[in-house]
Amino acid sequence: MLELRPILSALWRHKVSALLIALQLGLTLAIVSNALVVIDERSERISRPTGLAVEDINSFSFLAIPEDYDKFEAFRLDLDMIRSLPGVASATISNHVPLSGSGSASGFYTEPNKETGGISANYYTVDEHFIDALGMKLTAGRGFSPEEVMQVGATSSERPTVAVVTQKFADEVFPEGNALGKAFFLGGDDHPIEVVGIVERNLGPWPNSSVAGRGVFYPAIMDQWFYYIVRAEPGQRDAVLKLVEEKLAERDPNRVINADTMEEQKAQQYASDNTMIKVLASVVILLTFIVALGIVGLTVFWITQRQKQIGVRRALGATRSAISRYFLLENLIIAVTGIALGAAAAQVFNGFLASEFNQPALPPIVTISCALFLLGVSLAAALVPALRAANISPATATRSV
Amino acid sequence: MLKMHNIRKSYRTDTIETHALRDFSLEVDEGEFVSVTGPSGSGKTTFLNIAGLLETPTGGEYRLDGEDVSNLNDRQRSRLRNEKIGFIFQGFNLIPDLNLFDNIDVPLRYRGFNAKERKKRIEKVLDQVGLSARAKHLPAQLSGGQQQRVAIARALAGEPRFLLADEPTGNLDSLMARQVMELLEFINEWGTTIVMVTHDPDLARRAHRNIQIVDGQVSDLHRATAPATAEIA
Ligand SMILES: Nc1ncnc2c1ncn2[C@@H]1O[C@H](COP(=O)(O)OP(=O)(O)OP(=O)(O)O)[C@@H](O)[C@H]1O
Ligand SMILES: [Mg+2]
Repeated sequence: MLELRPILSALWRHKVSALLIALQLGLTLAIVSNALVVIDERSERISRPTGLAVEDINSFSFLAIPEDYDKFEAFRLDLDMIRSLPGVASATISNHVPLSGSGSASGFYTEPNKETGGISANYYTVDEHFIDALGMKLTAGRGFSPEEVMQVGATSSERPTVAVVTQKFADEVFPEGNALGKAFFLGGDDHPIEVVGIVERNLGPWPNSSVAGRGVFYPAIMDQWFYYIVRAEPGQRDAVLKLVEEKLAERDPNRVINADTMEEQKAQQYASDNTMIKVLASVVILLTFIVALGIVGLTVFWITQRQKQIGVRRALGATRSAISRYFLLENLIIAVTGIALGAAAAQVFNGFLASEFNQPALPPIVTISCALFLLGVSLAAALVPALRAANISPATATRSV
Repeated sequence: MLKMHNIRKSYRTDTIETHALRDFSLEVDEGEFVSVTGPSGSGKTTFLNIAGLLETPTGGEYRLDGEDVSNLNDRQRSRLRNEKIGFIFQGFNLIPDLNLFDNIDVPLRYRGFNAKERKKRIEKVLDQVGLSARAKHLPAQLSGGQQQRVAIARALAGEPRFLLADEPTGNLDSLMARQVMELLEFINEWGTTIVMVTHDPDLARRAHRNIQIVDGQVSDLHRATAPATAEIA
C-alpha cells in the first residue's frame, strides 16, 4: 500500500533538511558521473596498444668521457656484445626510445618543396634490427637491409632514400591508400623518400600528444643521439638489464652507463593520467561515503525525532514492515528528487568541462548507471535505521511523554 | 468482550524486576463503560497496554472478543489493534506534520480501505466531533480539547468494538474534560465498549463501573446502579 501523499505532506514540513540531502545526492551524482567519464577516458588512454613489447624492453645510453671517442666503433662492438648475451632476444640502436618522453618530430609532405599543409610525425633513426628489437609487427613491405643503414655523423649531409612508416602515418599521409612504394618529402625539400615497409603500430615518444602513433623509421645511426634498445626473452628483462649494464661498463670503462626499462618510462608518460585516476577515484569513493553517512545521519535523526509518532502509528495498527516501508519510501522520494536534479546538473557540468577543459562528453548510460548506483547507496544507507525503527514498541504511544 | 485471567506483567532491568501486574483478573462486558483508577505506578497503563495489545503479558490468559490473544504474532496483533481497538491518549498523540484529515486517515490506510471509503469515514467522524471545518488544519493550530476530539475521531473512524483511553482528560481543563467525557458517553451509548483510566473521581463516577488497581491487582469491584451513586474507594 503506497502512502505517498501523506509522506509528501509530512516531508514538506521538513523541506529544508530533505532538500539539503537531496542536493547533496544530486551534487554527488553530478561529480561522480563526470569523474567516471574522465577516469574511463584516462584508463582507456593508458591501456591503448603501444605496438611495442613494452614489458620485455630495456634501453641503454652512455656518456663517453674522452673527447675524440669513436662512437660508431663503440656501437658496433657494444651491439655485437649485447646480441651475444644470454636472455637477449634482439637489439637495435635508435636516436630515441618510444614512450620515453624524448623524441623528434617534423612535418611530412606528399609533394616536394612544400612548407604548409604537411602532417607532423615522429621520426627515428634505427638499424636493421629495429622491428624485432621493438617487438613491432611488419604488416606490409620489408624492413631494412644492413647495407641500407647509414652512419650519420655531426657533419654528414647524406640523407635516407627509404623509410618504414606506421600504419597510422600511411593512412593519414596517403589517404587514398596503398602507401607502399610511394614517396614523401620533408618540408621545403625535393628529396623523395620511399616507403618500403609498414609496421602495425608505434605510439611514439609522447603517447598523449597529437602526433602519437604517426611514426617514420630511417635506416641510419646517429652519433649525436643514440640509445641501445634491447628486447629480452620473456621474463628475462630484469636479469638482462643488469647483465647488459655490467657488460657495457666492463667492455669500456671510459663512460657512464644509463639504463631504463620501457615499462617505467611508459608509467612516467602516464603518471599524470594515473594520478588523475587515483584522485578522481578517491573523490568518488569519498563523496559516496559522505552522502551515505549523511543519509544514515538524517534517517537516524528523523526516526529519533519521530519515535513517539512511530509508537502511535504502531498502536493504530501499523505493522513493523509498514514502519520500515514508510522511512524507505521517504528516503526514496528524497533520493529520486536529488538524483533527478543531479542528472540535470551532471549534463550542465559536463557541458562546462567539455567546452572549458576539453573533457569527453557524458554518455546518458553513465549518468543512469551512477543514478541507479546512488539510489542503491541511498536505500542501503536508510535500510538499517528503517529496520530499527520497526522495533520501536507500540507502547511508546502511552509510555513516553 | 474482554476477559483477563491471572495476567502477570513484570519489567526487568539489569538491577531490578518490577511486577507491574500480579494475578490480574478482570472481565469487561460488551457495551460497558469502565473507569479505572488507582495510585500512580499501580499498573493502570500496563493493564491498558496489555488490553490494547500494545504489550504482551509475562503470563496469564487474555481473551478479546472470545479469541485467545495471548499468543498472537506481531502482525496479527497489529491487525487486531487496527480493526477492533481504538486508542485515546493523555497527550492526544496526533502526528504534528499531518493535518486533521490525514491524521484520521492514518489507521484507515493501514486498514487498506480505498480512498472513497476513507474520505467518507473521515468526514463522518470529523462531523461527529464537530471539527469538519478544520480538516485542513494542523494539530498545532487547535486547542487541547479540540486536539483530543480529533484523537477520538481518529479512534472512532475504524469503528472499533473497544475503545481504550489513558487519562484522556489529563491535559485538559475541566470544561474541555467534560466535553470529552460527554463525547465518550455518547460513543458508548452507540455500543462501543470503553475502558478509561482517569485520576478524576467525578469522571470515574460517571462510568457504569469503576475498578481500582492497587499494586498491580484489582482491589475492589463496584457495579454502579447509577453513575451518581458509584462509590470510589
Ligand atoms: N518499560 C518499563 N520498564 C520498567 N518498569 C516499568 C516500565 N513500564 C512501567 N514500569 C513500572 O511498572 C509499574 C506500573 O506502571 P504503570 O505505568 O502501569 O503505572 P500507572 O498506574 O499507569 O501510573 P500513572 O498513574 O503514574 O500513570 C511502575 O512501577 C512502573 O515504574
Ligand atoms: Mg499511566
